[in-house]
Parts: sequence; C-alpha cells; structure tokens
Amino acid sequence: MKAPDPMIHAAVAHATVDAEGRLVAADPAIAALNRRAGGGERAAVAVPALATVARLARRLGIVVSRGIVVADEEHDLQLWVRAQPEGDAVRLAVSGWQERRATRLPQTSRGEADFLVAGADWRWETDAALRLTFVSIDAGARHGFDALAMLGEPLTRLFVLGDDGDLPILDALARRRAFEAQPAAVRGSGTNVILSASVRHDSKGAFAGFVGAVTPAAPPVPAASPLSQGFTLGLDRALRRPLGRIIGHADSINAQADGPVVPAYADYAADIASAGRHLLGLVDDLVDMQAIERPDFAPPAERIDLTDVARRAAGILRVRASDSGVRIAAPETGAMLLAVGDFRRALQILVNLVGNAVRYAPVGSTVAVTVRPAGAFVEASVADAGKGIASADQARMFDKFARVDVSEPGGNGLGLYISRRLARAMGGDLIVASAPGEGARFTLTLPSPNPARGEDQ
Amino acid sequence: MQVRSDPDPVSPTLRATSAWARADARLADAIDDLFLAEDARLDDRLRATVTQTLSALVAQIEADLRRHAARVLVGIGDIARAEAMLERGDVFARLARAGLLRDVDLIDELLARVRVDVMADALPTAITTPDAPSFLVRLTLVPDTIVAKAASALLAAQNRRRAANEAGGVEPSALPAEVQHRLVWRVAAALRAGDDPDTDRAIAQAALRSLAAYDEGDRPESVAMRLALAIDARAEELAPLLIETLGDRSLTLFAAVLAHALAMDHDQLRAMVVEPEGERLWLALRAVSLDRTAMAQVALSLSEADPRRDIEAFAERLDDLAAVPADEAAAALAPFALDRDFRAGVAALARSEWR
Repeated sequence: MKAPDPMIHAAVAHATVDAEGRLVAADPAIAALNRRAGGGERAAVAVPALATVARLARRLGIVVSRGIVVADEEHDLQLWVRAQPEGDAVRLAVSGWQERRATRLPQTSRGEADFLVAGADWRWETDAALRLTFVSIDAGARHGFDALAMLGEPLTRLFVLGDDGDLPILDALARRRAFEAQPAAVRGSGTNVILSASVRHDSKGAFAGFVGAVTPAAPPVPAASPLSQGFTLGLDRALRRPLGRIIGHADSINAQADGPVVPAYADYAADIASAGRHLLGLVDDLVDMQAIERPDFAPPAERIDLTDVARRAAGILRVRASDSGVRIAAPETGAMLLAVGDFRRALQILVNLVGNAVRYAPVGSTVAVTVRPAGAFVEASVADAGKGIASADQARMFDKFARVDVSEPGGNGLGLYISRRLARAMGGDLIVASAPGEGARFTLTLPSPNPARGEDQ
Repeated sequence: MQVRSDPDPVSPTLRATSAWARADARLADAIDDLFLAEDARLDDRLRATVTQTLSALVAQIEADLRRHAARVLVGIGDIARAEAMLERGDVFARLARAGLLRDVDLIDELLARVRVDVMADALPTAITTPDAPSFLVRLTLVPDTIVAKAASALLAAQNRRRAANEAGGVEPSALPAEVQHRLVWRVAAALRAGDDPDTDRAIAQAALRSLAAYDEGDRPESVAMRLALAIDARAEELAPLLIETLGDRSLTLFAAVLAHALAMDHDQLRAMVVEPEGERLWLALRAVSLDRTAMAQVALSLSEADPRRDIEAFAERLDDLAAVPADEAAAALAPFALDRDFRAGVAALARSEWR
C-alpha cells in the first residue's frame, strides 16, 4: 500500500475557501466533487473532510497537508489535500484522486513496512539523501562492520550494489522506488545478500527515505535433491495443522466473527491468512517436489481422456475466474482424445496452468483450453491474453523457485517446475510460447496410445 | 494468567477459605479495572510494551548478576553453589508479588520512554529540501566537532535503543541512575535463596560490578541533552530547530532542546511532551517565546503522532495560548525547573496529601 504520491498523480486541482468556509473559486474537479456532495457555488464546502482541513489550516494559520477519504457517489476517493492559509482565505491544492481500494486504509505504508521487516534477517533505513539512519546492530557483529559507525554514511558504504550488471536496484534507488529481491553484497565481509525496501514518504508525499530489509542470498541449489523424504514428511506433519489454525483464526478475525475490531487489525488478519495460505501451498509443493525428484519416481501410465481432464481443470477454476472477470473456454462435452499418463498428475498440471492463466489474464478476456492430436502425442494448450513473457524469462521460468515477476502476489516458483517434471516423467513435456504483450500459451504434451494415427478412437 | 493452587496437605476448610479470598481479590481487581478512568487506561500496545520492557530489564540484570556471582563462587571453590546460582529462578514473579516493581519512578520512566518511542515512530517525516540528508545526519557533518560528535552519538544511542526494542530486549544503561541502582539491588535481593554469607557476598560483588559498568551518559536522553548544550541555540533559532527535530522524528532531541532552553531536566520536558492535553508544553513553548505559527506547527505534528490529542480543541484555544506573555509562562513552569530531589519531595508530599 503506497501513500498517494502527488508526483505520480500529477493532476492537482486548486480551490479557494473564504473566511466563512465558502467555496469561492474552484477548478472543475473540486467544483464537481463539491456539487455531487450537495454543495453549490459560493456556498459552504459540502465535502466534510475537505471543509475540516481548510478550517484547521485557517485556525492554526499554517499549512496543513494530509490524506483524506471522501465518499463520491458509489466510490470512496482517496485525496491528498494541501491547505495553505492566505489572509482570511485558504487555498486548497487537491491531488491523488484515486479510488480507494475497499479493504485498505488510506495513506500509510506501515503495514507494508511491517511485512517487509517480519521476513528480514536484519534491517537498515536511510534518509532522503540515502544516508543510513538505522542499521541492526547484531548484523555488524556477524558481517564484520561497526553498525553504529555506519550511521550518517551513504548506503553504498554498507552494500556493494548492482554487481554483475544488475541495474534494477540502482534504478530503483535513483528513482526513489520500492524494490524487492535485489542481489547485493555486504561491503567488508563480501557476503551475498538480498535487499528489499519500501519507501517512506513525508507528509507532503515527497520521498523521505527507504525502510530496508536484508535476507541472506540463497546458496546455489545442489544438483542432488537436498530434501530427504523424512525432512519433507516431518515438515508436512509439523506445519499443516498449525498453519490451518493460523489461517482459520486470521479469517475469523478478518470476518469480525467475534465482534468488531479496528479496521487496521482486520487488514493485518487478512494479510496473515493470505500469507498462511501461501505457506500451506508451499508445503504441498515441497512434499510434491520431494516425491517427483526421487530417481524411481514413475507415475502410473494409463489411458486417460485429455479433453475430460481439461474440462475438469476448467471447472475447478471457473469460480475464481468469474471472480476475476475472466472467462474460461474449455473443450466441449462429448469430444474425446486419449493420451497415456496419470489422470491425477495430468489434472494437477492443467489446474496449475489454468490457474496461472486466470491470474494474468486481463478482465473481460478469455482463457482458452484446447486439446488436439499432434503426431505421436496429444497436446493440451492453455492460452491467455495477458501481458506475455519475455523470451529471457521463458527459459528460466521452469527452474526451481523461479518467479518471473516477484512483485506479483502468490506463487512460490515451484508450480511450473513441478508441472514440467511431471509431464516429462509421463513421457511428455511442457513448453511455453509467448511474446511480451501477446499473451502466453502453455502446451502440455503426453504420448498418444495410438502413435500410428495419433487420432482418437 | 497462571492460577496457583495450594499444596495438598491442607484441610478442606482452609482451602475453601483461601479460594474464597482469592475470588474476592479477583473481584476487587475486576471492579478497579471496570471503573478505571478512561484517560488513565493504558492501551494494549503500551501495556504490552511496558510489560515486555520491564521483564526484559529484570531478566537482563538477573542474568548479569547470576553469571558474575557464579564466577565469584567458582573462584572460592564452591562449585555446587555456583551451579545453583546459574539456575534461573522466579525473580520477576518474586519482585512483582512483593510489590517491588510498583516503583513510581521506574514505571514513570518506562511509560514515558515507551510513549516517546511510539510517538516518535508515528511522527510524520518532513522534508525541507528534496534529497538532502536528514537533520541529525546533517548535524554529524557540520564543521563544529563538538556538535558533530554529539549528533553521531545521538544517532548511535537511538539506534541502540531501537535495535533493542525490536529484539524485545533493552539496551544497556537503560534507566536513570537512581532507578537503575534501586532495581539492581532489588534483583540482587530476590536472587537470595536463604541465608548464606558466601552467596550473599558473591551476589553483592556482582551487583557492584553491574553498577560500575552502568553509564547514564549512554542513554539517548543524556546524549540528546549533550547535543542540545553543544548547539546552544539562540532564542531566534529555537523555533526552526524545534520544528526540524520533529520533522526528523527525534522527539528525544525536541525535548532536550526545549529542556536546555528552559534549564529543566529532560524527564520533565519529556513528561510534558507525552501529555495528551499539552497544557504544560504550550506554556513551555511560550516560555521560550515561540510564536503562534510555530506553536501550531508543533501541535499539528504531535497530533498526527498521538491519536489522543484533540487538534480542533487546540485550534480553538490557539489565540489565547499564543497570547500568554513569555515571562508569565516561565513563572508558571518555575516549580518544574527546581532541583530534581526537591521536586521528588514536593511530589511525594502532594501524593500523600491527595489520599
């Protein structure tokens, strides 16, 4: 959640309120807002929150600058108001003009910063000049620097940034934008770390510094499976029930089942529940991954109707799709095309593909699921009209823990890895064809039981 | 909350009687809680943080004393007693039961400290020049080495406190000297498990060592006072300086600058800063001749950091407040500028006379 940033939302509307609280001059946006709230020309300001800020500025005799939320017909508008007293009148500059997201509170990035901090190994903060104003003390002991001596020093005294041509972090720093999962090294020890940061704004929406988190860089994954079966099963047993309870309780706090709670807490509860669900999905995937990485993993090879599998996958995701305003076109009932594979695993792959497609498909578009013969194989394709995938990303998106866009919520980078491993274990494959801006088409191929014709029978 | 049950070999009558007494005490506590004045009620965050800080303080002193006392006992060859000394006991619970943690100065200090931390965290940052270093960082870069060193020391002291807060602990030398002194000896007393001269000597040595390592000058409050003294702002510099410290979210330095200007102790000013009504703070601002605009800016910043404050009510009275002559305001605050021990005596007497 970002504070409304007047620099991003450049549209600033001006108005003047006289000593009696009447709107004496107003740009069209403010005049219209005031009219919709029941006000008129040269009458008292009818938008209560706006009137309050103007009155406060006049009475205090200083500039008051704050975020407000006003009801505008069916929506809530999030505005940033700067009220400057001029004699007896007050001059208003109103920016922002964003529709407020229903479940969020306005104008604070605290929740975001708290979330960032929760996952961090250690932390740092800077001022607007990127000089350090806070560094975790114990990190210094571990990485061989004096945390307190770093205070007031530029951020680059602490970290080596943008090595191996990694420019996004420098760009983010230069543009004063939040960033995530950026590789860097601690100067001194040379330890590789991952940096993330959210932006702190001042009361006028200007950049006031970064609130940053450091996590250790993941060591390179060894070729052999690092997870013993015992470990994964233990993980599954140890985490599934507590996570279930955390999600359950967080959901009931969010739903305010036991009575009203402060809205900020309800939002935190929703964040907890969604983080819990994400972790539960990760446990499922880790257990799955452990199974399919075993050398003797061989799913059953049966004759399955791939069009039936595709229809079921579409059916499972239809509700989620319609919630997102997306339609799924699945093969017609009655069509049939046999393939050789494991029904459950084939369904798992297609649910993963259709789920991804629904997540990235724009509102009002269609996700097309088609099945057709292809020589000695049978193909099931899932195509979306989303933003597409750059060719560099296409190569790595099937890697373990690979995520193309880390800013996207959900996903742990295991789904496509597992899907491809499964497809190959069944004698088939999973490939992607896409170009930026042109959507993506994922194709699952499985052997046909009748390679001579590759036709249905 | 843990419910204690009495040991078994007690007559049923006695057990019933003591159960009744407990229920009665619980009811009395519940009634006190129900009728607690709204403005005296601590919010959950404050209550939890103060409790956590207090138990971390006691645990830190306890661990320190146990370790050193055990070393002393090993030195005289008493391994068994040394090992017994290292086993953690129920020091916090013992002190709490004895009412020794209901120390007015201790709780006053912790409440004020936590309130300042919470408020400072919620203060809106104010950027005067885009991409310029923040106020304290700028001070570390000035040519005047006394100011620069004191500013660096304040950055470090605030960093130590925040890092400790976030780890759920307390930084070393957290309390004012008198309070620290009292708490160390009380923890030492709670470590005793019967009369044993050797153990007592070991504990006493450990307590003296712990107090010798304490340095009140490391506290952010002390460092901020040093910085305020080094800056020694002229009257006309005070208003912009105070507003800059708030914009940099350094409430400790804000209180220190004002305390220095009024020749008061930091804890006095801090108490004024965290009072939601702000009566004494407005007088303090007038006593250093802050004008209407500067007072409004201070009040607006503080109201954004503390939801208990009523900025509308302040605006209503601003003209009257700004019209108080500086010498009248200073006279009204004179009792708070008295010697600390004198003030403590006056306060104790007043407290007993209210009862």
